[in-house]
Amino acid sequence: MKPDDFEKRLQSQPLRQIPSEWRRQILSEAQIATRNSKPETRNKFVSTLLWPHPKAWAGLAALWIAIAALQFANSDSAGAAKKTAPPSADTLVILQQQSRMMAELVGPMPPREVDRPKPRALPRSERRAETACV
Amino acid sequence: MPAVPDLERVYDEHAQALFAFLLNFTRDENDTRDLLQEIFTRLAREPGLLRGARDERAFLIRLAHNAAVDLMRRRGTRQKYHDQFGEEELSIFAADANPDVAAFRESLSRALAELPEDQRAVVHLKLWENLTFEQIATALDIPPNTAASRYRYGLDKMRERLRPIYDEIK
Repeated sequence: MKPDDFEKRLQSQPLRQIPSEWRRQILSEAQIATRNSKPETRNKFVSTLLWPHPKAWAGLAALWIAIAALQFANSDSAGAAKKTAPPSADTLVILQQQSRMMAELVGPMPPREVDRPKPRALPRSERRAETACV
Repeated sequence: MPAVPDLERVYDEHAQALFAFLLNFTRDENDTRDLLQEIFTRLAREPGLLRGARDERAFLIRLAHNAAVDLMRRRGTRQKYHDQFGEEELSIFAADANPDVAAFRESLSRALAELPEDQRAVVHLKLWENLTFEQIATALDIPPNTAASRYRYGLDKMRERLRPIYDEIK
């Protein structure tokens, strides 16, 4: 692509020159800055790594902290549930007394399904013999 | 204290180009000075930085562009607006005793300042650094076609903006 007259005209305009004293200043300051460069280089590396989307990184960190806090809270409540002590002996005595009083007032109650004695478990061969006898 | 010889060579070969590019971008001499310092300090700290670069000039312009963009982001849009329009315009061109030439350069500098940053960077590198679109693409980390279209848009805007004064002095 060949430049037209307008482009040539623009190209021919000389740009401002860099101030000559900057050379010494910039180069010597660059030298001085290199002396304690190691920690700063590390910081620079981290900031370069995180720079493109600092808000996204901050959001991610906040989310991570929230998840960690939630996890911590859950584990605490689970631990508390585990730690719940069994009913004390006093409580058991009171419960027994209450059920006895209930029995006196209402009369004897039919045994609950769970309290009824379960039929004795027999091997299959014996069960057949029992049936045959009946 | 003597400077590292390679740093001196890099300065002598590229500092003028970086200065002009950064001045066109920031429109502020102090910012340009700070950014140049930042670049050369980085080069001094990381001497191997330029070793892998195929095109030193394009690589350094990329460093300069990234540093300038970071500076603008840190400042925020409000400050940028203030810098661009609230203060007297800084010319990026050399002064000239001829009033017509001086007026044209002033208008040109202002027309450049009015371009969006991405177009201004491409126009600058194409016209005053004579970089190809491929080199500009490498320097600014954009596709070559994007560089070409930004140049075309930018140049058209400048042509329109400078038409009256250009026709006058032609």
